[in-house]
Amino acid sequence: MKNEIIRKEDLNPKDYLMEVKAPMVAKKIQPGQFVVLMTHPKGERIPMSVQKAENGNVTMFIRKLGKTSVELYNYKVGDHFENVIGPMGNAVEVKKYGNVAVCSDLVCGHAENYALCKALSQVEGNHVISMQTFPSKDEVYLEEELRGVSDEYYITIEDGSYGIKGHYRDILKKLIEQGKIDMVFAGGHMDGYIPLAELTKAYNVPAMVTLRPIMVDATGMCGSCRVFIDGEMKLACIDGPMFDAHKVNFKELLNRVKLFKKQEEIAAENYNKTG
Amino acid sequence: MKKMVKLIKNRVPMPELSVEERTKTFDAVPLGYSKEQAMSEAKRCLQCKDSPCTKNCPVNVDVSGFIKELAEGNFREAFLKIKQDNPIPAIAGRVCPQESQCEGACTIGKVGDPINIGKLESFLGDWAMENGVREDFAIKENDKKVAIIGSGPSGISCAVDLRKYGYKVTIFEALHKAGGVLQYGIPEFRLPKKVVDEELKYLKEIGVDIRLNHIVGQNVSFDELKNEYDAIYIGTGAGAPFFVGIEGEELNGVYSANEFLIRTNLMKAYNFPEYDTPLVVGKRVGVIGAGNVAMDSARSARRMGAEVYILYRRTKENSPAREEELRHALEEGIHFVELVAPTKIIGENGWVTGIELVKMKLGEPDKSGRPRPEEIKGSEFIMELDTVVEAIGTTPNRLFLRTVPELKTTSRGIIEVDENLENIEGVYAGGDAISGGATVIQALGEGRKAAKSVHNYLSSR
Repeated sequence: MKNEIIRKEDLNPKDYLMEVKAPMVAKKIQPGQFVVLMTHPKGERIPMSVQKAENGNVTMFIRKLGKTSVELYNYKVGDHFENVIGPMGNAVEVKKYGNVAVCSDLVCGHAENYALCKALSQVEGNHVISMQTFPSKDEVYLEEELRGVSDEYYITIEDGSYGIKGHYRDILKKLIEQGKIDMVFAGGHMDGYIPLAELTKAYNVPAMVTLRPIMVDATGMCGSCRVFIDGEMKLACIDGPMFDAHKVNFKELLNRVKLFKKQEEIAAENYNKTG
Repeated sequence: MKKMVKLIKNRVPMPELSVEERTKTFDAVPLGYSKEQAMSEAKRCLQCKDSPCTKNCPVNVDVSGFIKELAEGNFREAFLKIKQDNPIPAIAGRVCPQESQCEGACTIGKVGDPINIGKLESFLGDWAMENGVREDFAIKENDKKVAIIGSGPSGISCAVDLRKYGYKVTIFEALHKAGGVLQYGIPEFRLPKKVVDEELKYLKEIGVDIRLNHIVGQNVSFDELKNEYDAIYIGTGAGAPFFVGIEGEELNGVYSANEFLIRTNLMKAYNFPEYDTPLVVGKRVGVIGAGNVAMDSARSARRMGAEVYILYRRTKENSPAREEELRHALEEGIHFVELVAPTKIIGENGWVTGIELVKMKLGEPDKSGRPRPEEIKGSEFIMELDTVVEAIGTTPNRLFLRTVPELKTTSRGIIEVDENLENIEGVYAGGDAISGGATVIQALGEGRKAAKSVHNYLSSR
């Protein structure tokens, strides 16, 4: 089952979007769920975030980081790659949360930000506040689209070159202090989840974060993505990928994602050499 | 043939890859009998009237029948004899625990080596593949449809029989390759993947539709299957790992055997970076457990250059592994540490540096008939390791089950079935999904039995 690439666009110098034909996945996928893709038969199975699924196509946001994501970037529109499998994981419960903040500071998080805002804003009684953070102005994307699917939108830039200087947590803190946030969803840099968890816990605001540990099959078979939630072992692929930020052991999670750091470098180097 | 058969106590030796070569390659260890060797081995068979071998086979293969044909050089007839009861001889011959089944009951075994039934079976399976010999049958098509969930041994055998009855059969497989545990679990050196692929090719030839990447419960709902198909067979196996539940399992360097084997077998991590999936195998690997999966993990790690230690709470004699696996593991230089149980995994900077073990002694027999291991208090000691593989068993995957609350299951997630392998009306199950973990041949037998039940059910409607 090969999947055809319909659209490929740079989002910024590091990130790109890829729209692929995947009717079976597109028909079923819900916000919060993810896909697993393989570039070719010798490829690895890697989890990817989905921004939207329409007309039998799935749009993923990808950062050119490891070997697979760079290799995939070199594929052209019209090319086919091995497969997009899914949906994997659990969907977010789309219901009335009240004032709900959806935050992101990294490519996968931005994709989910859109999917979540779009679904949550359709529920009566929700006031959806979307927030994005980028390191600098030239990396910004999805601003207009997010404005379109949220009731309130903030953009923060870490070097102050655009929007509000700082991180989304700064805005979030102010809004929480004003009693304007009932629920938080966040996706992106996992080390940033620690201060986010501290902030929301201090004010007793529930927060769900997307965990993306290393996965293989992503169907609950290998246990590679085990995370510890309130001391109990859970699998991010089938029990997540979203978990209560106040219960996750982030220290262990941040260690586990370093497992193949050296191998990732070898793979990238090897790919650059041999193409 | 003469009435008096001269008793030949010793087996025709199976040529094997040298130990030196083995630690460098994932190629198959047994090299297979030649025609002449297979016939000589077959000629040792006493042709016992009561066929204890057949009685002791979970699917009752006519062992003395196929061996008789083989001894006379009638390979085709011999092959077809096995096929009557076992659709995948090339696989079963390689992975069945023959010493506790057919070969365990072999009469010659009382005075010498039992007939090498497993290797004769795989010889015929391989011969048939090489020579394009197929079982010949006409399928009388009907318009009823059966869905099979899972493409492992029980799904394969169920599919073959259902096609023979004339049903349209669709197999739904969650992974990107078919074969279930034969594909992701059992290593190349024990079961070459080209053998598995050939058997799957045969399924396609007889008209079985195999749909990869279809995860029932995620992208296909059980209700959709119920609406679209006249009956369903669940052969989802026991694909979720158990962890011991001790301190330190979050450390890098700790793998479930499932992860270790999925990375090596399904994703070919031993060919990294030609293949993209990595696996960090350290210099000193400890494998917890001593079953077949533990041997598979240990031998894989050995082939990737590690010193390997099997850590087992009983003794070698009590290992549930196949005799051949245990022998191969020891030959390959794997250390067997007996009478120890892990109490915690120790790490530094997030990586495994060792394991704390407590010494055990053997007590009275437990329910399994094996002596119960008992802890010797205060005997804890630390062994330096950089990798720990936990091979203490698996359980059915809750991903599928939780989407189908209507199915009757035990509290441990084992699917319950009646004597016809039926769960709820029109839904049947077999293999590890109903046992929690058994053998390929038992799964295969249940797949066939379920096919018969499905046929009885559908032909009475």
